[in-house]
Order: sequence, then C-alpha cells, then structure tokens
Amino acid sequence: MLGRGVKRKWSCLEEAEVVSEARQLVLGLCLEKLQRYQAGVELSLRRSVLLINTLRQIQEEMRSDGVGSCDVHPDSCLLRDDFREDVTVTCPGCSEGESPPELPSQEANGSDQQKPPAAVSDAVNAMGYLGDLALDDIFEDIDTSMYETSDLPSAWASGSLPQSHSTAGSLQSCLMDLNELDHIMEILVVETHLVGPGLQNGFSL
Amino acid sequence: ASINCRVTSCLFSFIQDWVYVWSDIISTVEFNYSGELLATGDKGGRVVIFQHEQESKNRPHLRGEYNVYSTFQSHEPEFDYLKSLEIEEKINKIRWLPQQNAAHFLLSTNDKTIKLWKISERDKRAEGYNLKDEDGRLRDPFRITSLRVPVLMPMDLMVEASPRRIFANAHTYHINSISVNSDHETYLSADDLRINLWHLEITDRSFNIVDIKPANMEELTEVITAAECHPHQCNVFVYSSSKGTIRLCDMRAAALCDRHSKFFEEPEDPSSRSFFSEIISSISDVKFSHSGRYMMTRDYLSVKVWDLNMENRPVETYQVHEYLRSKLCSLYENDCIFDKFECCWNGSDSAIMTGSYNNFFRMFDRNTRRDITLEASRESSKPRATLKPRKVSTGGKRKKDEISVDSLDFNKKILHTAWHPKDNVIAVAATNNLYIFQDKIN
Repeated sequence: MLGRGVKRKWSCLEEAEVVSEARQLVLGLCLEKLQRYQAGVELSLRRSVLLINTLRQIQEEMRSDGVGSCDVHPDSCLLRDDFREDVTVTCPGCSEGESPPELPSQEANGSDQQKPPAAVSDAVNAMGYLGDLALDDIFEDIDTSMYETSDLPSAWASGSLPQSHSTAGSLQSCLMDLNELDHIMEILVVETHLVGPGLQNGFSL
Repeated sequence: ASINCRVTSCLFSFIQDWVYVWSDIISTVEFNYSGELLATGDKGGRVVIFQHEQESKNRPHLRGEYNVYSTFQSHEPEFDYLKSLEIEEKINKIRWLPQQNAAHFLLSTNDKTIKLWKISERDKRAEGYNLKDEDGRLRDPFRITSLRVPVLMPMDLMVEASPRRIFANAHTYHINSISVNSDHETYLSADDLRINLWHLEITDRSFNIVDIKPANMEELTEVITAAECHPHQCNVFVYSSSKGTIRLCDMRAAALCDRHSKFFEEPEDPSSRSFFSEIISSISDVKFSHSGRYMMTRDYLSVKVWDLNMENRPVETYQVHEYLRSKLCSLYENDCIFDKFECCWNGSDSAIMTGSYNNFFRMFDRNTRRDITLEASRESSKPRATLKPRKVSTGGKRKKDEISVDSLDFNKKILHTAWHPKDNVIAVAATNNLYIFQDKIN
C-alpha cells in the first residue's frame, strides 16, 4: 500500500517535472532568440511577435500553475513606439522587487542601433539597476519623435527581459559593466550628431 | 496505400527538364498569365526571365524549353539612415501584369520599394541616317550630297528591361506581398501591419486600406503575413495573419478596411495544443483559386483549401509533412519553424503544390485525393527519367528507398514553386537551383 501510494506520487511529480522541464527549455530558447541580434539587420516583426506570444503563453501557464510569482511582461517594457513618454515606466512585475532581471548584453551589438538612448534607459528601468541614475535627464534633449521605429526596440531585441526566478543564476553573468555603459554613452553622443536636421521622413503613414 | 503512378495516366508523372544554377538564393518564382514567360527573383536583387521556346525537332515528346530571355538588376541594397539599418535587395515577390501590347510588364518588390519594369524586344534598327554614320559619328555636312530615307534592318534580338515606375516610401515595415488587381489599374502591397492600394500610374501616393498597428505597440500580437486581390472581383481582397486567420475585405464597404467582411478561422484542436501551436498556425501564403471560388492557405504543417462561402472551417486540409509535428522543438531551436512556404494551384484548380524540406515538394490532387512527394535534386534523377515518388518513413521500420525523418536535410528547403497557368509545367526553386519539370505528352 505504501509502495503504491509512493509510486503514484512519484509519477505525478515526474510528469509535472517533464512538463516543467519542457517549459523551461522553450522559455530559455524564447529568450535566447529574442536576445540574438545581428548588427545592421532589421529583425523580422513576425518572428518577434511569434516569439513574444510564445513567451507570454509559457508565462501564463507558469503563473496558472503557481510556479513563478514573477509577472514577466516582456511587452510592456519593450514593444514600445514612442520612447519619450514611456521612458520612466517600469514594467509591471519589475517593480515588485524580484530578483534582478537580466541586463542586456547588447553593448557590442547596439553600437549602430538607432535608439540607444531610449533603449538603454529602457533596459535600465526594466532592470532596476542604476535606477537612481538620472539617465532620463541626460537624454532629454534628444528628440526621437520625428521618426517612428519600424521595429521593436533594440533593448528588447537584445533580450533585456526580466527573467523568471528560475534562471536567476545566469543573470549574474550578464550584468552590465560600468565600462560598457560608458561605451554606450560615447556612441550616443556620436549618434546625436548624426541625426541632423537634413534628414526627412518620407513615409506616408 | 501505394500510389499508382503509371506514366501515361497519372497527373503527377513529371520529368526533370531543366536545371538552372544561380550564384544566389532564389527568392521568388512566377509564371506570367500565358505561361510563356517565367520570372525569378533572387537574394541579390536580380531578376531573370525565361521564355518558352517552340517545340523543337530534337525533343518531339516534350514541350518547348525555357531559355533565358532577360536578366536585370531590379533592386540594389540601400541603407536606411534613420534606423542605421541595411535594406536588403532581396526580391520578395514578382507579379506580372496582364499583357496589353508587345511589351511585358512586371512588378518586383524588396522589403521597402516596389518597381514596375517594362521588358521589351528590339529586333530592328534604323540604318542609313543622313546626319550620322552607322557608328554614330556625325557626318561631315559637306560630304552629304544626297538625301536618303533610313531603312529598318533586322538585328539580333535585344531584350531590354527598363524601370517605368518606382513606388517607394510607403511602407514602414517589410513588404511581404504584392497583388495586381483584376481591374489592371491598381495593385495592393502589404507589409507586417499595413496594406496599401496603388494606382499603377501614380507613384507619389497610395491609399492605406488596412492598418492593424495598435496605438500602443506593446499590444501587438498579430501581424499580416500575406495578401491577395480576388482574381475577378476588383473590390475584394484577403489577408492572412500570424495567428492563422484570414480576413476577406470589400473595398466598397469603407475606405479603411480594418473591419473585415468575412473572417476565416478553423477552431483549434485542443488535443494537439503545444507551445508551438500559434507559430505553426501562422499562415505563410494565401492564394485564390483561378475560379475565384476558393482560396488556399499554407501554414507550417498543412495546406488548407477554403470555400469563400464558409468561414468556420476549411473544406479540405492536406498534411504536407505531419511527421514533423513530433520534431517541433528541434525545428524551433534551429529556426526552421519560422520558414515561410508558398503554395500554388494548377491551371484548372484540380491540384495544388507546395514545398517541404530535403528538397522535397508535394502535390495533391483534389479530386482523387492522391498525393505525391517528389524531389528536386540533380543526383537523384536522370534527365528525362520520370521522377520517382519519395517517401518519408515515420514508423520504426524503414523500408527500402524510404528516408527517415532524422536524415532529412533541413537546409534544403523548397519555399517557392510555381505552376504553369495552362500546362503541366512546374518551376521549383531549391535554394540556388531552379528546376523546371514537365509531364510527358504522348
């Protein structure tokens, strides 16, 4: 009797484990793909949307199973259009004081990205890291309203997603160095010089 | 059930006719309305047009061959300075215009710009000008003692391609489809979030007829994947989405067709739900039948035929490579799950064709429900030999001549195929090889 009872318990656990393992694998792949970024090439919006939807679905399942308390919403931080307005918003779930989400490893890639200012502050806000640094003030004079992005922000592209607690271990390895932040700021200064008054937006929106 | 595929009676007894090898990956293939011309576009922005030659005495049992007719560079790589990103020159789609005079017109598009090209022949030139020599040098006026009338002399055929219109700056997102309207005056172009209607004569303006971009991009969950005009009703068009739905719109109903007239969606089978359900339901191609009564959609694992009068489910579903369903995780890992396969009808709408992996392509006969898997490969078939049907073994025991799922080469994908509008001649693009197959005529 005892044996039977134990057996049943184990098989249930096993099943749940298998499902959870599969989920973790797909979740990991999702994040990895969202992070993967090729400098100078525009991401496919279709692919990105499908990845995010899959990610959301997994997170929904995890939440409904009561697995993670982390309300990871990749969209609210990252699927943004007008950076200026949203720069100070932190994504719901990030403000709950959970384990620090993964920082973007996008510095090397982001050097020729169009929106480093917003991307960086966006990533930073999502992270909560260096939160007290008034990055917004530094970038206030950069006017990004004249053009819209046709793609999801680089920060999201580089995968600055709040990680679920289960992958917290790998987060430490992805923390951004202050050196790299300096590097980005250097690039931003160059970028602002490039975006001059001569450029016109020819899109008929 | 085995497929009885005798050469004389089977619809699908194709022989390999020609193989053309490119230096670049072929990205689109399209016959014109008569089937006389076959246009291909590649990743390098080039367009190559083949022309059907008359039957020759050397090949009495075959239709004429397709020979290169014209080659030109349609698009060049560009740089978007606003976003610091390269705009690929890869030709996403080519669509022919119906022929109205001696010249041929086609639309070719990359991610951002659509171009109208005129392809015309020149086989005569004028000789005997008064003021200049044959090589163009001006004649000394004092040497001219008499007047002559220039005569038209035959010359070697020259095929010229010239860009007649450039439709630019109307798409923020990547163009995935273009479709010429049955009125022959307008055409539509679709990107991930918007569809525009153009007049062929006007390049500085287009009408936006569908816009699914949310005010807040964070709410974006669905993109447009393909769009096509109805073959006969110039006010009707359809567009498919990444969520596996198709919307039919009527341009008479409103200027902005955000609200559909019909909504096609098959309810999901809850038993087959997985993490990848949405990704594999994403429609990669939509094509109206020539009759205009049906439309066909291609998602990752199947092809579905819909009756335009029935929105709640397709009338026919064909499994292209169901054996991949258990491999979805690996296909997700190697990104193959995002591959966009096209599909096409034959001229009489009795058969449909679509590509798969390992250079396999599949054909389905809608009347007999028979299907066949063929391979586009130079090694596997001798020229002029009937193509052998292929089979992928799904069970444990692999029969002779079958190939196991794990041996499939996922880098050899056939995404683009085209069927001649009248004859049983097909063009299959396998990476950088273009195969032309035709069936034997007795």
